[in-house]
Amino acid sequence: MIRYRTWGAATAALALLTALTACGTTGGSAGSTTAVDEDISVEVGADLSGKRICFGFSGSETEFWAAGIKSIGDSLTAANATVIEHNSNEDPNRQLEQVRDCITQGVDGIIVIPEDGSSANTIIKEANDADIPIGIFNRPPASEDGAAIISVADNRDVAAQTVQYLADEATKLGRKVQPLIMVGNLSDQNAVQRRNGFMDVIEANPDLFLAPIEVQTNWDAATGQANLQAAMQANPNVDVLFTSSDFLFPQIQAVLEPLGKWKPVGQEGHVIMGGLDGDNRACGLIETGYVDATGVQDLFSEASALLDALGTAIENGETDPDDTIVDPGFALTASNFADRSQDMWGCVITPPAS
Amino acid sequence: MPTTTPAPAASTTSSSNGSAPPPRYRALLQRRLRRLLLGEGFVAILIVVFVLAMAPFARGLLSERNMLNVLSNFWPLAIIVIGQTFVLVLAGIDLAQTAIINLTNTVGALLVARALEPTLFQNSALWNTVIGPQGGPLGGGWPGILLALLIVVLIGALLGTLNGLAIARLKMPPFMVTLGTMLLFSAVAVWLTRSENVTNLPDDYVAIGQAQVWGALTVPAIIAVVLGVVAHYLLGRTPFGGWLYAAGTNREAAIISGVPYKRVVVTAYALSGVFATVGGLLYSARLEAGRPTLADDLLLDVIGAAVIGGVSIFGGKGSVLGAALGALFFVVLSNSLNLLNLPFTVVFIVKGLVIVAAALLDVARTRLLGGRR
Repeated sequence: MIRYRTWGAATAALALLTALTACGTTGGSAGSTTAVDEDISVEVGADLSGKRICFGFSGSETEFWAAGIKSIGDSLTAANATVIEHNSNEDPNRQLEQVRDCITQGVDGIIVIPEDGSSANTIIKEANDADIPIGIFNRPPASEDGAAIISVADNRDVAAQTVQYLADEATKLGRKVQPLIMVGNLSDQNAVQRRNGFMDVIEANPDLFLAPIEVQTNWDAATGQANLQAAMQANPNVDVLFTSSDFLFPQIQAVLEPLGKWKPVGQEGHVIMGGLDGDNRACGLIETGYVDATGVQDLFSEASALLDALGTAIENGETDPDDTIVDPGFALTASNFADRSQDMWGCVITPPAS
Repeated sequence: MPTTTPAPAASTTSSSNGSAPPPRYRALLQRRLRRLLLGEGFVAILIVVFVLAMAPFARGLLSERNMLNVLSNFWPLAIIVIGQTFVLVLAGIDLAQTAIINLTNTVGALLVARALEPTLFQNSALWNTVIGPQGGPLGGGWPGILLALLIVVLIGALLGTLNGLAIARLKMPPFMVTLGTMLLFSAVAVWLTRSENVTNLPDDYVAIGQAQVWGALTVPAIIAVVLGVVAHYLLGRTPFGGWLYAAGTNREAAIISGVPYKRVVVTAYALSGVFATVGGLLYSARLEAGRPTLADDLLLDVIGAAVIGGVSIFGGKGSVLGAALGALFFVVLSNSLNLLNLPFTVVFIVKGLVIVAAALLDVARTRLLGGRR
């Protein structure tokens, strides 16, 4: 009797599995992890009717990625493409397998938000070998090997513009100040360039800045919070804080608030703060005065430029287009907020659920 | 439970029917069918049925290119699953396999890297001793690469041995030991590299994970088949294999019968470490980078594949062929779900259900087979 019950349970589990699998076949291009209702598509510049586009991303843990993923997905759908979405959940090995599976299906183009720069090169090589045009969104490959359309912000310059504003604010204190940077995962060229931009300003102002404290985050909120807590314990007199990504502001608040250092501009204890990305949270924090500036990546312009170039390559039958499109970005600051906030994507759209 | 088969009644019925086979042949047929369903044959049939069922829906499933993809994904996983089989047969478990992969593939890459960016690696404990801006010490050609591979495999064996010693000598539960070392070894991998990926690997090193010898015959295929044959020989043809099954079926009885239990445990975990290392190196070479988090998401695939392949989590049962077929099923499952373009959440749900189904199947098999392998 027990045996039959066991077999019954096993059969039920397998039946459920089969049902789920079968359900999935009707889902078409399902797979978006975003939940915002509004359409945030951008101009593609090409009609992709009848074309199958593989869109692989590594995760949507920040507003920037969630919005980018939704925007690209919406735009491809608006251009009448059939979109095959794959989320590798931050596993580069799985992302490689997913791209290979897309190639098996004979897709006409590939768009990837890679896990990091080195895996981007491996994936580009796969696409090049299969003669399928590929676009890389916002996270550039580690080297220039292989042919791909790369759309990326000038992270170094945007970071430098932002940190320069923080430096100008710090000058008003009339003393040497202690800067701190929350560094991203340095396998990611974006993190490297943002750190470089920060260091450019620090090194250009030796009379203003003490040696900077570097806090590793590896683009992980929990890691960032724990490391910032330790750094603040050891160096309570931080005056200027720059986070390489806006998504870490809640963790920064959690660390600074108990120390009495989460204060708006003008109040005693305010830490001069800046970030990079241009998300909705940063927009609100600049408006309320807790954050002084953020470097803005023009998400929609980057997505539009990438899709336009890839769509054109597909229409023209190009299999290995090779181009780098640079988004110059800008710094949204407390000073120019009234004039430029509407140019920042995070101030304009409802953040997609991530 | 073989005694529950209602053989006499069946014989009577078949005797009265002129077209039915004689009772003796019918019983033989039943036995063979049962062996097929309870052994590796079941997995093989499952794979064939699954592929045929999915083929109309999953575009390109049976194409040559996809077959090559499947094989490319299969070889490293099969090696790791076969390594896990040694400890599962022993009624143990090696959760630290993924951490051993993380550590060894990173060390291997550091040893052979042609150049390392100081900004990324100068905080590593190995900087200016083992590694530097010029890369690792062994990336200059085949002799260096072979030496690096040997060192890394020895590290894998050593880490496995540590697990085995803690379990055999200190009588600690395998689950807790390997759970602890999983965290420990992974943390060391991250600490060594400060969580950076190691790129700039020599072409000869990368070729180990990618090079095609002829058609579908690749270097990973050759390595996997050789290791599979060795593992099959060890498990099926040597006293060590017999000791493993005996200790996994009934530890006390095995010890009383003269099985050198502690030595068997240590050897099984060492082998698990070695196989994990080799599989991890193939993954790493395929991605052209050493990664301290390479196998973080791999554990469920490994355990799930082993159990589907008939390797019992209760110990004492399983084979290398079954483990390899289990790995193949998992790879085919993953591949077909990708080709169906399912959301990743559904992929995880399906995989989870498959693992649960496999565990149920294991319970059922254990009851049906009793003490047999």
